[in-house]
Amino acid sequence: MPGLIDIAEADLAVTLEDPVFGFGQDITVTDPDGVTAGLVGFSGDIAQVIDPDTGTAISGRLAHVDLRISSLEAAGLGLPKEITKRTEKPWIIDFDDIQGNPYKFKVQQSNPDRTSGMVTCILEAYVE
Amino acid sequence: MIDSLIDKQDTFEIVRDQIAFILASESVSQMALAVLAAKDPDDWKLNVYTERSNAFEQFLSEDPEPTPIVNIWYDNSNFDKSSSNIMERQKSETIYNIDCYGYGVASSDGGSGHNPGDREAAFEVQRTLRLVRNILMAATYTHLDLQGIVWTRWTQSITAFQPELSGTQYEQVQAIRLALQVDFNEFSPQVTPEELELIHVDVKRTGDGKIIVDAEYDYTL
Repeated sequence: MPGLIDIAEADLAVTLEDPVFGFGQDITVTDPDGVTAGLVGFSGDIAQVIDPDTGTAISGRLAHVDLRISSLEAAGLGLPKEITKRTEKPWIIDFDDIQGNPYKFKVQQSNPDRTSGMVTCILEAYVE
Repeated sequence: MIDSLIDKQDTFEIVRDQIAFILASESVSQMALAVLAAKDPDDWKLNVYTERSNAFEQFLSEDPEPTPIVNIWYDNSNFDKSSSNIMERQKSETIYNIDCYGYGVASSDGGSGHNPGDREAAFEVQRTLRLVRNILMAATYTHLDLQGIVWTRWTQSITAFQPELSGTQYEQVQAIRLALQVDFNEFSPQVTPEELELIHVDVKRTGDGKIIVDAEYDYTL
């Protein structure tokens, strides 16, 4: 019998990956080796950033995606991460904004939650 | 009471605007020289502003113009009493902060690697600083083209800093502050002179070094 944690992870199929009853949006993930997979998850790109120390809005723009780790693994991808070396390709994320305009990003920071089975990636602008 | 309207710019304002003018005009001149040298003139292009508190905002907009930003703002003044007089002219030792902002975007290097955005932004702002420092410390601008007013200009310090942005950014912006000290004269309103009496004086030196003064003036006994 699955535990509550297992049930919560399974619920990601609806809460994270269902575009009809959840908040799922199409996201394309490309790893440094060029392996590409079309996934569904949360995506965000907002220009008003809140400073957690002061609670005030500061200049900035924050883009991120939330992906299900088990879906990444099923697609033959590992866990996205920041690639520091210039001699390697970064992890690339593509998604459209709510108006349908395409955007391309690199993974700047990866924050996996291995308890719930979800990874949040902070993104940075990227030009191919 | 002061009998005339104080309707002028103080020297600290004139010098600030002069620094901006020099940087903007030299940027254009350098771009022309770059064309003659068959180099990309955009590498010498600067967007120069004065007294802006959020000059780098343009980098945060959609499809930002990547040209480096230079913002000149007045910081503080100290007055040197020993080199001044209490009536007319005071020597001011003033600091101007010249903030340079560089913008970088991560990009493919066309091969198997990439150019990280943070590194690109750092290199961009350091290139901007190089231009700004060389222009302002060029022998041509020893007195910032304000001879008679400006005593000296001197790069007091150079400090890199992070603009007030979140650490996790869509954009990469790096900044460097060049603190430029400029010593100049400030002038204050004077008493309008009033004619009291006309005196005509001839001063002569005789062959033996004696000074003879002939004075003519009207007087009433």
